[in-house]
Amino acid sequence: MIDRSYKELLKLGRFPHTWCPGCGIGAVLKNVAMAMKELGWNNQNTSVVSGIGCSGRMAGYMNLDAVHTPHGRALTAAEAIKTVRPDLNVVVLSGDGDLGAIGGNHLLHTSRRNPDITVFCNDNEIYGLTGGQAGPTTPKGTKTVTSPRGEHYQPLRLNRILTTQAPYFYARTTVYHLNHFKTCIREALLWKGFSFVDIISDCIELNGRRLGFKTAHQMFKWFEERFHIAEGVRDHLKDDELGIAKKEVEAEVKVEVEVEQIPEVQIEGLKLFALEELKQFDGTEGRPIYIGYKGKVYDISASPLFQGEKRMRCHIAGKDLTRDIEIAPHGEELLFKFPVVGRLKE
Amino acid sequence: MKQLLSGNEAIFQGAIRAGATYFAGYPITPSSEILQQAAALAEENPGFRFLQAEDEIAAAIGIISASLAGAKSFTATSGPGFSLMQEALGWGHAVEAPCVFVNSMRVGPSTGMPTQPAQSDLLQIKGGSAGDYYPIAFYPNSVEESFRLTVTAFNAAEESLSPVILLVDSLLSHLYEMADLDAIEVAVVPRTKDPLGRSQRLFTGTAHDRMGNVKTNDPEAYRDWLNDLKERHLQAADKYPLYEYIPRKDSETLLIAFGITSRIISSLKERFSIFRPIRIFPVLEKELQEITRPYRHIIVVEGNDGQYASWTECAIHRKVMRVPCLGGGFKFQWIQSQIEERLKEGK
Repeated sequence: MIDRSYKELLKLGRFPHTWCPGCGIGAVLKNVAMAMKELGWNNQNTSVVSGIGCSGRMAGYMNLDAVHTPHGRALTAAEAIKTVRPDLNVVVLSGDGDLGAIGGNHLLHTSRRNPDITVFCNDNEIYGLTGGQAGPTTPKGTKTVTSPRGEHYQPLRLNRILTTQAPYFYARTTVYHLNHFKTCIREALLWKGFSFVDIISDCIELNGRRLGFKTAHQMFKWFEERFHIAEGVRDHLKDDELGIAKKEVEAEVKVEVEVEQIPEVQIEGLKLFALEELKQFDGTEGRPIYIGYKGKVYDISASPLFQGEKRMRCHIAGKDLTRDIEIAPHGEELLFKFPVVGRLKE
Repeated sequence: MKQLLSGNEAIFQGAIRAGATYFAGYPITPSSEILQQAAALAEENPGFRFLQAEDEIAAAIGIISASLAGAKSFTATSGPGFSLMQEALGWGHAVEAPCVFVNSMRVGPSTGMPTQPAQSDLLQIKGGSAGDYYPIAFYPNSVEESFRLTVTAFNAAEESLSPVILLVDSLLSHLYEMADLDAIEVAVVPRTKDPLGRSQRLFTGTAHDRMGNVKTNDPEAYRDWLNDLKERHLQAADKYPLYEYIPRKDSETLLIAFGITSRIISSLKERFSIFRPIRIFPVLEKELQEITRPYRHIIVVEGNDGQYASWTECAIHRKVMRVPCLGGGFKFQWIQSQIEERLKEGK
C-alpha cells in the first residue's frame, strides 16, 4: 500500500491544477511534499516561497503558509523569512528562469550568505508560462519562439556558479530518475545551509513538441540519453552528470601578518628644531621638506607624494604631523624609510 | 536628556521606539546613516536583524517578507533606490504587509544630484508601481518631528496593513538639531497580523480573493478585494489628518509648502498665511478645500516642478501659482523674489 498521507500537504480542493498534462512540475510538487511529510514538516514549522512562472504556482498548492513573490525574488524573501523566524523550515519552489535570469543577482548573493534554506529549481530549459521563449538554461542551438534559428548563446551553468565557494550543496537530478530524485530532495532538505536542487524537468507542450517530441515520455528518454548518474560523493559535477556536489565550510587559513619593527634611531646630538623653525622647510625656494613626528624631524624631500603645493592631501610640509598620522588611514611605517635630521622642541 | 541629533538618527530611533526588529537596505546617499546605525545595532542586539542587500530590490522584498514572517521592518533609501523598490511596493500592497519605507530625497531624475536636496519623489510614492494602490505617506520638517512621524508611519502601517512611506528631505537627513527623544511620548500600535507558520494562507501578488486563492479571471472577486483594501487604507489615513496652518488675517495669499521649504519660508508668516501638509498622501482634500477657500492667491512652494501643486489643483478645483525650487536651489531670497513676481502676475 502506497503511503498517501503526503496529500495533507496539498490543497487538493484547488485541483485540478493549472499545469499542462505531461508537465514535470507535478512530479516535483508531489515528491517534495512526500519528503516533507516523511520529515514531519507541516504548516506549523514550514513555509514555502515561490517566484513567478509555471513553477511559481507550486506554493499556491501547498497546504502551508506560502509566499508567492514577484518575479525572481523568491530567494530574497526566503532568506528574510528564515532570518526573522529561524524556527521555520523554509523551502523555495521555483523555476530556472525565475532563479537564474531575473533572480540571478539574488542567486549569487543569497548563496554567498548561505542561509539555511532549500531551493528546488524546476529546470525545464524554457519560459513555459509566457509561451516558450528561450531561457537562461536553454541549450545552445535550441529553437524557441525567441530563437527561431536556434539559441545563440551558451546556457547558464548553475552547477559551476553554485559550486565555487564552500560551503555549498548542489544536486542535479531529473524527474525521470525517480529514486535519485527522491534521494536528492531528502538530502537537500536535511542539509544545514543553502542547498540547491536543479531538477531537469520537461515542458512538453511549449518546448518538447517544437523539438519534435510527441509525448512527455519521449522527453524523459531524452534525459536518459543526455545525463547519467555519477556515483559517490563529489565536489563538482560535470555538465552531463546527475548527483550531489557538496562541500562543508573550509577551515579558514590564518594569514600571519609580519609586524614591522620600528627602527631605533639615535637622535641625541641632532639639531633641535622649534616649530617656528620647522615651518621654513616646506620645500619652497629649493629648501628641503621636513616634517615633525613624535619628537623627531624627518627629511621627506625624496617622497614623490609631497610635490606641487608641498602638501599631500591632508598633510602639510613643515609641520608637526604626529596627530595627523595617528588619524590617517595609513600607519607610521611610511615615514621610517626617510632620514631623521633632527629633534623637535617640546 | 537633550541631544544633538541628525534627521537620520531621529528616524532610526523612531523606528526602534515603534518596535522595529528588521532592517534591510543598500547604501545610498543621503540615507546611508540609517543603514549604518542598523548594522551597528544588529551587532550588539541579536534581537534586531539586519541585511545589507545586494540591491534595493532585494532590500524591499526583504522587509516585506520579514514583515510577513512577523517582524516590524523598515528600509531607507533615496530616489533612485526607491525607483528599484517600486516592484516590491506594489507587492507589499497586494500581500498586505505592514512595513515602512524611508525615502530621503535628492535631485533626480536618475542619479541626478546625489548631494543636493529635492522634494521630487511625490509622484513616485503614488504612481511608481503597476495598478491601483493607495499608499499613505508622511513628510516631517524637523528632527523631532521625523522621530514622531516615523512612529506614526509604523502605526499607520499596522492599521492599514500596507507599506507606509516616510518622505524626508536630504537636508533634514543631515540636519542636526537639539531634541529630547526620551521625553517624547508616543503611542505604538502592536502587530496584529498573524505571522507565517500558523495556517494555510497564500500571500501572493497575483489577484486573489480574501482567502488568498488565486483568481486571475474574476472581476468581481478583484473588485471586492480592492475595495476592501482601499477602504482600510483610507480609514487608516483618516486617523492622521496631519497638517500645520498659520493664518494671517489680513493676507490675501496662502503659501503652501512642506518639509524643508516650509522651514525656509517660515519667516514669511509675517506677511502671508502658510499651510503645511504633513500627511502628504492621500492628499488632505477636505482640509485643503476649507483652508484655501478665503484666499485670492494660492502659491505652492516646493522642491520639484509642481507635483504637489497639481494635486492641490485637483483637490480644490482651482488654479494655483507655483514656485518650483529646482536643482537643489532653496535660497530664501530667490524664493521670496519668485513669490513677489507671481503676485505681480496675478494682479
